[in-house]
Formats: sequence, C-alpha cells, structure tokens
Amino acid sequence: MNRATTRWLATAAFALAAVAACSDVPVQPKSTITSANIFSDPASYKAFIAKLYGGLVVTGQNGPDGNADIAGIDEGFSQYIRGYWQLQELPTDEAIIAWGDIGLPELNTQTWSASNPFVNAMYSRIYYQVALANQFLRETTDSKVDQRGASAALKEQIHGYRAEARFLRALSYWHAVDLFGSVPLTDENFDLRTLPQQKSRAEVFAFVESELKAVRPLLPAKSTGDYYGRASQAAVDMVLAHLYLNAKVYTGTDRYADARAAAESVIGAGFTLDPDYHHLFEADNNTSPELIFTVPQDGVHTRTWGGMTFIIHASVGGNIDPAAYGINGGWWGVRLRSPIPDLFAAEPAGTDKRSTIIFTSGQSKVASSVGDFSKGYAFPKFSNKTSAGVTGSNLDFPDTDYPMFRLADAYLIYAEAVLRGGGGSAATALGYVNALRERAYGSTAGDITAAELTLPFILDERGRELTWEGFRRQDLIRFGQFSSAGIWEWKGGIPAGKTTESYHDLYPIPSNELSANPTVHQNPGY
Amino acid sequence: MWRKTFVSLLASALASGSLLAQSGTIAGSVTATDGGRPIAGAQVTVLGTSRGAVTGDDGRYSILVDPGTYRMRVRRIGFSPDSATGVVVASGATTTQDFHLTVSAAVLGEVVSIGYGTAQAKDLTGSVAVTTTREFNTGRVVSPTELIRAKVPGVQVIDNNEPGGGIAVRIRGGASTAINGAASNDPLYVVDGVPLEITGGASSGRNPLNFINPQDIESITVLKDASSTAIYGSRGANGVVMITTKSGRSAPRFNYTGTASTSRVTGGPDMLDAAQFRDAVAQYASYRSGMLGNANTNWLRAVEQDATGMEHNLGVAGHRDDMNYRINAGYLDQTGVLRGTDTQRAALSFNYGDRLFNSLNVRANVRGAQTKDLYTPNGVLGNAVAYPSTQPIVTDSGTFYEFRGANGAAITGVPNNPLAILAQVTDQGSTLRSVGELEGEYEIPRISGLTATLRGGYDVNRADRSAFTPTTVYSQITSSNPGNIYRNINEEQKTVLDAFAKYARQFDMFSSNFDITGGWSAERFRGDYPSFNAIGLGTNLLGINGIPSSNEARPFYSLNETRMVSGFGRANLSLYDRYLFTGSIRGDKSSRLAEGHQYGVFPSAAFAWRLSNEPFLKDRTPFSDLKFRVAWGKNGNLPTLNYVGYQSYTYGQVTAQPQFGQDFVTTIRPSGSDPNLTWETTTSTNVGFDYGFKSDRFTGTIDYYTKKTTRLLFDVPTAAGASVTNHVLTNIGSLTGHGLEFALDAKLFDGENRGFAWDANFNAATNSNKLVTIGRPGVTQILTGGVAGGVGTNIQVLQAGFPINSFLVYHQIGDTSGVPIYQDRNKDGIINSLDLRPFHSPAPKWILGHTSNMSWKGFDASTTLRAYIGNYVYNNVASNLGYYNILTLANAPTNLNASVLKTHFITPQYQSDVYVENASFLRMDNVTLGYTFGPMQGPRLIRFADGTRVFGTIQNVFTATGYSGVDPSAGLGGIDNNIYPRARTFVGGVSLSF
Repeated sequence: MNRATTRWLATAAFALAAVAACSDVPVQPKSTITSANIFSDPASYKAFIAKLYGGLVVTGQNGPDGNADIAGIDEGFSQYIRGYWQLQELPTDEAIIAWGDIGLPELNTQTWSASNPFVNAMYSRIYYQVALANQFLRETTDSKVDQRGASAALKEQIHGYRAEARFLRALSYWHAVDLFGSVPLTDENFDLRTLPQQKSRAEVFAFVESELKAVRPLLPAKSTGDYYGRASQAAVDMVLAHLYLNAKVYTGTDRYADARAAAESVIGAGFTLDPDYHHLFEADNNTSPELIFTVPQDGVHTRTWGGMTFIIHASVGGNIDPAAYGINGGWWGVRLRSPIPDLFAAEPAGTDKRSTIIFTSGQSKVASSVGDFSKGYAFPKFSNKTSAGVTGSNLDFPDTDYPMFRLADAYLIYAEAVLRGGGGSAATALGYVNALRERAYGSTAGDITAAELTLPFILDERGRELTWEGFRRQDLIRFGQFSSAGIWEWKGGIPAGKTTESYHDLYPIPSNELSANPTVHQNPGY
Repeated sequence: MWRKTFVSLLASALASGSLLAQSGTIAGSVTATDGGRPIAGAQVTVLGTSRGAVTGDDGRYSILVDPGTYRMRVRRIGFSPDSATGVVVASGATTTQDFHLTVSAAVLGEVVSIGYGTAQAKDLTGSVAVTTTREFNTGRVVSPTELIRAKVPGVQVIDNNEPGGGIAVRIRGGASTAINGAASNDPLYVVDGVPLEITGGASSGRNPLNFINPQDIESITVLKDASSTAIYGSRGANGVVMITTKSGRSAPRFNYTGTASTSRVTGGPDMLDAAQFRDAVAQYASYRSGMLGNANTNWLRAVEQDATGMEHNLGVAGHRDDMNYRINAGYLDQTGVLRGTDTQRAALSFNYGDRLFNSLNVRANVRGAQTKDLYTPNGVLGNAVAYPSTQPIVTDSGTFYEFRGANGAAITGVPNNPLAILAQVTDQGSTLRSVGELEGEYEIPRISGLTATLRGGYDVNRADRSAFTPTTVYSQITSSNPGNIYRNINEEQKTVLDAFAKYARQFDMFSSNFDITGGWSAERFRGDYPSFNAIGLGTNLLGINGIPSSNEARPFYSLNETRMVSGFGRANLSLYDRYLFTGSIRGDKSSRLAEGHQYGVFPSAAFAWRLSNEPFLKDRTPFSDLKFRVAWGKNGNLPTLNYVGYQSYTYGQVTAQPQFGQDFVTTIRPSGSDPNLTWETTTSTNVGFDYGFKSDRFTGTIDYYTKKTTRLLFDVPTAAGASVTNHVLTNIGSLTGHGLEFALDAKLFDGENRGFAWDANFNAATNSNKLVTIGRPGVTQILTGGVAGGVGTNIQVLQAGFPINSFLVYHQIGDTSGVPIYQDRNKDGIINSLDLRPFHSPAPKWILGHTSNMSWKGFDASTTLRAYIGNYVYNNVASNLGYYNILTLANAPTNLNASVLKTHFITPQYQSDVYVENASFLRMDNVTLGYTFGPMQGPRLIRFADGTRVFGTIQNVFTATGYSGVDPSAGLGGIDNNIYPRARTFVGGVSLSF
C-alpha cells in the first residue's frame, strides 16, 4: 500500500466516522411550543382562558384570518357569533341573505341537509369551545398546578378561571341543546381514548343547569370593569332564564317559575335601560348600562370576518351610505322579510323609534328575490359609529360589541314567564313592557293595557325590540310558529312561502359527526 | 493537484484557437464490424493531445491537429474500444482514419443512473426512462422539467403558462390524495446525486427548479416504479426524477448558443363586449344603466403584451485522458404575455471529473443561479376579466377611470381598474441558490471489484419576495390602513453525506455477474423564515425599498430543522446474461415524525428475463431484443409539514386578542394531533416488456403497473368533544391506481451518407386511480377543489369508489327561463347537497406524446405533439361571472362571461355540471427547423462557421380542443379560474462551437 492509498483510506475512515456521528436523528421542534413546556410560563393560564373567550369572537390565531381554529369551512364563516346568528335569524321571518355561497341559501328556506357547511361549522364551534374548556380544566387541576409550583395567588386566579371555563362550556351546551337537541356530552373527566356518548336533550339540559348553578357563587356579580366580556352571576342568570323559558321545548317539562326567578335575579342586579335604544348597537355600546353580557370586538385588537363585522357590513347595501355606519363598504347581504315591517305597521299611531332603523329608499318591502339586495327592506341596526357620531377605530373591523344579553330581554322573559303561569306579578310585567315601549316612543303613546299584554303580543314585541339579536328562531319555536305554522316569503323554498315539516325545529346532527362518531343518532326527520 | 491539471488544460484549450492556421485534419468514420452501420456518439481521442471529437449520427468525425504522427483511440459504451497508431497528419491535408468497433459481449447499451450507482440499461429490472439532450423539448425552456414534457409515458409535466411558473410533475398520477397539502404528489428530484428541497421556501414563488439551467442538463432519468424508487425509501412513492448534468466529453471546445423570442397570447376568456353588456344591464339592472360609459374596452388586451425573451449560454468543455471539465455561464431574460411578468436568470455551472492515483475517481459538480422574478400584481388578471367593457381605461382628464361614489369619493365593492394596479403595485422576488457535490470513488486495492464512494453534497438557497401596494391604489383609499409592504426572506441549507461501497464480480464462464451495494446516508436541513407585513404607510416615497413609518407592522419568524439518517443496500445478479435479479432495501429514520414513529423499512425485489438471449428463441423470433420484467416494491411519502405528530400550542397574533376585562390578551391554542402519525406507504407492482426488432431499429417498452397507497394522510373530522379540534391529520384511507404505458422509438429512416433520417418516438399512457376508502366508517366524502365564487365553495370531492378530486356537481336536466332544473337524485323533493354526485375528474384517461427528429444534409427538424383524452375542466370563469344577478350585486356591475348567453342563469350555479367540460386536446408543443453548416474550405473566418447551427422554433403551434375556456390543460387541479394566458412563442437562435 503506497502512501497515497494510506492517506485516502485514512480519509475514508474518518469520513465514515463522521457519518456514524451524524446517525442520531432526534431534533426537537424548535419554533413550536409543545404541551411539555407551555405551562412553564405562568402567563399561559390567562392566555388559555382568554382563548376560550376568543373562541366566541375570533376564528384563528392570526385575526382576522389565517391559522384557523376549525376546518371544513371558510374561516370567516366559521365565527361563533356569525354562525349562531345565521342559524337563529336566517330561517325566520326576520332576515334573508342575498349570497349564493354553498349552503347559505338553504338557511333562508329551511331546506338544509345534514351536510350543510354552516350547520356543521356551528356544531364544530360549539364543540370547539367544549373541547378547549375540557382541556383547560384537565390542565389546571390543583395537583397539576401544584406540580408546576404555582404561587398561592396564581392558584386562586386559576380557580376563578376554571369557573369561567365551566360557564363558557355550559353556554355552548345550551346552544347545542337549543339547535341540535340530543348531543354528545363530555366533560374534563372524559376518557379521550373513547367515543363521546350521546345524551338525551333533557340530560344535557340538566348538565347545563347544574354546571351553571355550581359556578354561579364563584363568579363576580356583573360583567363590568375587570370582568367586562367575562362570566358573571348576571350572565349565568340570563342563560338560566333562557334555558328555563324554553324548558318545555327542550325537555317537555315547563320551568316558567324558574325562568321568572332567574329574570328577577338579573333585573335586581342593578342594570338600567339605556335611554338611547340605538346606543345598544353602536361602537361605544360597552358603556351602556343595559348590557348584561357581550362578546367584545375591537377594530385594533380583535379582528374577525364574523361577529359584528359580518352583521354590520352585511346589512349595508343599496342606497345606504356605508360611511354613515362607520364602515368602508357594504356587503349587500341581509335584509328584513316583510313580517317585521308589518309588526311595526300594526302598532298604534306615533313613532316607534325602533322602526326608524328600517331603510326603504331603493328597497321594496317584500323580499321577492333572495339574491337581490333591493328586495326586502334594509335594516342597518348595528353601527361602527359611537353614539357621539365618531367612527370606530377601523373601517373593516368594528369596535361594536355583540350584545348577547341585555336588560330588555330579561324584562320580556319576566313578562312572558308571568303570562305562562310562572308566578310573579302581572303588574310588574306590564310595567317592564311599557318601560320598553316608553323608551321606543319617547312617551307613553305606545303603552299597552293589561288586557293587551298577551302571549302573542310578547312574541311581536320581542320581534320589535330584539330584531336581529339572535333570538327569533328560538322564540318562534317556543310559540309554535317556526316550521309547521307560520308563512313568510321563501320559507320552504317558494317565493310565497309555505309551512315546513316540524322536524326543522332542530338542525340535523352534521354528517361529519355521524361519521366520526358512529354511536351518535341523527335527529328524526333527517 | 487537480487544480494544476485543470489550469493547464484550460490554458491549452484557450490556446488551441491559434493552432488552427497551420493544422491538418484527421477525419473518418466509425462503424460497427457487423453490418457496417455508423456508430454515433463514439468518442475519438488523439492521445497525447487535448484534441478529440464525438461522432455524429452518420458515424463521422473530424479533428484538427498540428502536423505530426499520432496514436488514436475510439471508445463507445457497448463496444470494445479500438485504436490506431502511426496516424500521420500533414499541414493543410486531411488524413482518413476509419475505425470499426465490435459489439461488446458484456456491455450493451447505455449506462443509467439508478440512485447510489449506475446500471447498464440492459440490466434494468424496473421501469426507468432516460431522456437525453437530443430528445429534449426545444424552444424557450425556463424550467428543466419542461424538457421532458410528452417524452416519457406516465410522466405528466403540467405548467401554468407563466414563464418559469409553477410546473408540476406527476409520475403515474401520484401516490397520494395530497389533501390540504398534508402530503405531496411531487416526485423526489435528485441533481447529480443531491436530493433537492422543493418546498415553498426554495424559491420566491416560481418553480424551485429554475436555478438549474436547462442547457446544463445531459439527461433526465425518471424512476417510475417502486422497485426502482425503493432505494429512496420514505421519499420515493411519487417517483424520482434524476437530473444528470453535462460534463466535458470531447476535445476542448467553446460553445455559444443564443436565442431571441417573441410570444403572443393565443386566447382568453370569452366576456361580453360593450354592446352585449349594455343590453344585459338594461334588462337585469336597468337602474344601473346610468353607471355605464360609452367605451368599448377590451380590458384583457390592455393588460397583455407581446412578450420578448433572450438567452445566452457560453461554455467551455473538454477532456484529456481521464480528466474532464465543463464550465458554463447562462443568462436568460423572459417577459410574460401579461404585463408586469418577467423572469431573469444568471446561472453558472462547473463540472469536473478526474482519476487520481490510478484508483480514485473524483467528481465535482457545482452550480448556482440568481433568479429575479417580477410578478404581475394580484388582481390585475381578475379585474381585467371582470371589468365592464363599457368603461374607459382613462378619464377625459387623463387619470385612470374608476367607479366612484357621490362627490367622486372612492368606494368599495366595485371592480378596480387593472391598469391602475399595474402602474402602482410592485411584486417581485429573487432567489439565489446553489447545489453542489464532491464525490470520490475509490477502488480498493487488492480486492478487485470493490469500490467505496464518499459523497458530500449541499443545497443552499436564499429566496425573498416583496410586494408594495401604495396608499394611492384604489382599493387602499377606503382602507383603514392604506398602503402596505410585505417581505419575506427564506434561507434554507441542506447538507447530504453519502457513503457507500459496491462489490462487483463477473463470472465470464457463465456470462454472469453479480454486484452488491451497501451504504449510509445522512441529511440535515435547516430553514429560517423571517417575514414582515407593514400596513398603513406614512409615505409612498420609498416604494418597495423601505418603511418610513407604518401604523401596523407584524413580524414573523419561524425555524424548521430536520434530519434524516438512512441505510440502504442493493444487490443485482445476472445469470447467463438472461436471468436478472434485483433486490433493494432502505431504512429511513426521519425527525419530522414523533418519536417512536420515525423509522421505516422499504424493500423491493425484481426479476427480468432476457428472452431474446435464450438459445431456443435466438434468431427464431422477429425480436432482436426481448426482455420480460416483473418488479415489486414498497415506498413511503412523508407528511409535508414537520412535527405534526406533536401536540403543540400556537400563540395568537395581536389582532386576534379577545378582550378580557380591561385588557386584550394574547392567546394560546392547543393543536389536535395524532402522536402515531407516520408516512403514507405505497406498494406497487410493475410488469413490462422491453422489445426491439429489425436489429433494434424499433425499440420500446410496454409496462403495466398497479399501486396501492395505504395509511393515506387525511385530515378528518373528529368526533365532537373527543379532541381539541374538529379535525386531525391521521393515517387512514387507501388509494389504488393502475395504468398501462407504451413507448416506441423508431428509426424510420437511418440517414446514411447524410441522407434523410427520421427518428420517431410515440408514447401513450393511461392512469386511473380510485379512492378505496377514507378508512373511517361513515366518512363518505371529503370536499376539495375550492373555486372562486361565493366563499368556501368546493367543487371536487374525495369519495370512496371514485377517482380523487372528482367534480361534485348537480346534474342539470334543463332550465326554465334561467332557473336550472337539477335532477333530484334521492327523490326527496328537495334539491340539496344530497343530490350532488361525483362526475368525471381532471385526470386525463390517456396521455399521448409524439416526437419526431428529422435531418437531411445539414438540415434538422423536430416536433413534439401531445394529446390528452378524457380530462375534464371546471370552467370557473364562466361559473363565477356567468349569472345576471351579479349585475345587481355590490356597488357596480362586473362583466359577464359569455356563457350566460347560453345558460341564462339568474343566480350563481357553481355546482351545475354544465361547467364541467370535456377538455381533451391535441397540441403541437413545438416545431423546430435548423441548419448546421458543414466543414468549409477557405479563409479562416468562414471556417469559423464550421458546425454553426441556426435554428428557429415555434412553441404552442396549435391546440385543437372543444373546451370553451382559456386552456384545456388548466394547471393541475382541473379548475380554470383566471389562469395565466397561454402564448404562442417564436424563437430564433444560433449556436456556435469553436
């Protein structure tokens, strides 16, 4: 072997040694934070509970879009409030949307199927909240927190966060009970290696009720100050009030006395009617004394294509000047159907200020065409301008908070519960209703008498007071007017409208869920 | 050492020009001993000098040398070498020296790269196709894979019409559903032994292979079946494209090739003209008639241009004895037929090979290129299509026309003037990339047949992309934060270290041989991806060159780091030159998967039988060559994303902060993950014949294959409440595919004595795939194929029992005054998504290709024809802009697609099957005519033209199709939505050699 050969052999041997040294593969993900180290930072607990609230308002980690939370639908369409609002409003006599996006026209006409992307997205959103809450509760047990060496102050904070997580989970389960009926039920003790079990509507109802009652004492009285946008006893009471008011629909057993008591509890918590009805829906509505629980939005920090962004932009079009509503353009989408202007027309003479929102220039009353914005009166109820007329911080993304619960709703629940035999005082009920009407008329001109305070009046008054606030479908079902009774344009898919089969009172369990969890049964009729 | 040799060689090459004046010529022919047919491609060397030549198609060569007496040698793979001594050359005279080569018994045919080594083509047992320079596509070729379009059966090369734009290669249709980008259908690209990264970070936006100058490529080898690709293990399921670059093979010569081109758009979407549009508005949105102007503008023509291009390549290549080298510099500048598009490439390459110490073969290949890309800004094409033809481009006052609100204020919800966008928005990128390798193959002394190879390779790139939208752009005026700048800078580095040994032994007594290769490979990859996005610009004065101030700036940075370590082995046994056995195995361990799931083994086995060498068949069949092959193998396909098997937490951005009391809080979000996630596994079987008859004047292959991919990566819905998300990426589902491939190479005329020669290649392939199951009981459909129109509109589906990405549409059985009547398939009286059905797919049933190369005297001609049969395209321009209601939407009407004149649709009907069109086509991809000047007598200036070739090419000569949209080849997914217009290109060029 000559010297050159030796040298090359040595080189080769060295290279082989180098190869052997490279044989170790493990590389931990570096720009990714895993469950192994996330809670090394104590701020992660707050960041996580904030994500649970964020699940109601933003759609992903980028804002307004990008890095979406849920798959299977356009991210902007996947927003919680947008989905909830569409499912509660579009199939009713209150609203119709012009767009042809796949699955959306079916919401206008009550002709959806189990593969409707919007139904699926809402279901996914509900369970996204449930899953996040369960994960939060699993990761924040006392034993785990102790292991990580949390301070006593942090532990106390975490206890509060846990109550909030349970409130948010119960809120979403209430939405599930309302929209889908009998659904799978999991809590933080659920074994993730198994399939969730479907529970009856009454069982899920009972879970929501017991959770809300359990967390109520752990929460602050009102969602104000440091608790703005967060869970409170008043928010709990409002969920309970709705749950009880609709208990007959949900479980077959009425709970009107409980509904009345829950409403009373909120009414006694110190909220007052906002003297300016329109302020409730404007960019500075966070200052309104009437709002009980909101989903806050902000043009700088909290951006989404859903929520108020959708509601404000979609209701602007035609001859409406977008700048007057603090936005850079309308989306030409949602209008009223004719029953709502008719509700106002049926009122006594005098001006109901709530009806002045109706925008008729260039619009016709009857929504004779689904896709043409000019058919059906426009209804720009929500705005990105403050009560002082100042435009919000961003022309795309409003500062307006979504008013999920407000005092007027509590008044009407009280009145309805009284009328339905839930005890309480008929005089008080009349007083509450007339308080709303006096605000609307600016005088007693619109006041009603005790004899006029009937259940049909309550339904109509809810239609006038709470138009486009996400209650209409629920109300119509409670009054038996949603599917097999009640006719308005395009219901059932024909221009004049027709009744539909009563199974439409529940949305179908999405086909995605049926395939992912074969133990789940479809709602009857689908 | 090598450097000295090289420098002296280069010097002599440079000096050689001055020798020509007093030199003489050796010329002659190289023919085969049996039959006397000319042998092309033989290497003729004048020993002791740097001079030499390669024989042409006619087997002739000619070499200029100084007067003297020489020894000469001729070599050609597949033949025994021949030599001559005492060749006397006198000044100014021509000495004739002919050679006769005998077909070598042991070696017949070409050497083919097969990954970690080479093989004789005759010994191949799998499905491997080689395309070399002569067969490459001609004309303006920006991206290397364009060279083999329509050349290899079963290899689909799909472009997007943009110069240098994204080009996808699909080998046998791909092995994955590639849903949501979870896994890829791209083949593995290997350049001179270095596997390339082709993910998004590897270029500023166009084809990541553009850094390879097509002029540097000697051959492209496609490994198609699993037995060939199993040596690449977890990355081989979609086939392997191996690019081998040129090296010096003859006496030192400078080569220059220059071309110039011009291109013009051949068609576009059929939109309403001004008169038709005015009528439509009058009828369906009469209240808007007042918004219309009196112009008749063709907006598409206004954003198009006649593209120009030029390309120069200058190189020197040569060899002496065992040393060879090649240096080439190339420059290309090509504009697009859409205004604003341009690509420039400056590429350098260097190849060097030598044999040192009589036992060490070294080879070094280094190439690098800078690519500068200008992109036509977003929205230009879309707005040009949608802008009403009644509106003028500029107003009377000379500014760009826009739809305006009261008092001339800017408004949203209107189409934007595409020329205003073109004039203001900048979108550009640049890519600097280099790939190289150094390898040494050492012949171990005293053990004959044992070699050890060590190869180090690298792939580094830096790609940036910047876009600047000034505050004055119409859509920005109404924004809260007008004006924005975006920039990203990707930096990626990869190193590869391969070490392998091969032992080969021949048993001449039995005409048998045996070889075994075993080795080790380690790869490291690191990518850094910083970027920022600034909106609300303080001024436009800096343009794209900086941010003076902005209202909002968001930085991003991420890092990817991965490693892979592999062991591999392969054994070949050839018995009696008739029975061939191959087995290979590779083990991969990849850090991209979660621990415990990182390791996989990928075996293959193959057998081939050379029937034509059987004594009982020899000379009794019409076949001069007949080989039967059967092969089986298993491959993997890694997930596209890294670390998807880990549960991770993602931080939210500052614009996704919920209000939490008085604060806005940055959130964290847990991801849903499957800790058991692993690669997709593809098993395939290939059965084929290689045939040749009439003394191999006609040769070809027939292959039939089946493949099945299991553990398909699927993003599936999870059971509600069972995971932290509503979907998780997991390995379920399976896909099968099968196909038939046919290739025939025919030497129709052999062109003896510079007469008429015609080589023709015909190839045909069919591939069909079918999703067997999504693997989760009850999951019947997964929607894919998002289209423009509405939000979240999907038009394709993955459904068990149907080809992947079949169109999912209603069956339209008629219409009543523009309201379609759809078939109520489930007869429930309601038309909803339950009535949709899978309907055709974008994949062609047959792909046919034909190439002809002809020559006569100094003339040469070639052409490439391509046809797809049975591919379907969804005409998204028609569905998105083909309904009258659009005239009433938003703040101004948009133009209508002419399809509405037939469909009369009032509302959008995205899911009607009228938009799914048969897009079968026949296209002449290119035709070239060239003339090569022969040897000339006379003054030196004229002789300089010796071997000069002038040529002209037309690309995209014609397309015959019944498809109504822009381009029946419509990219990859079969959705035609504002795709880059196709152009016809005329190229003229000259190539010199001196």
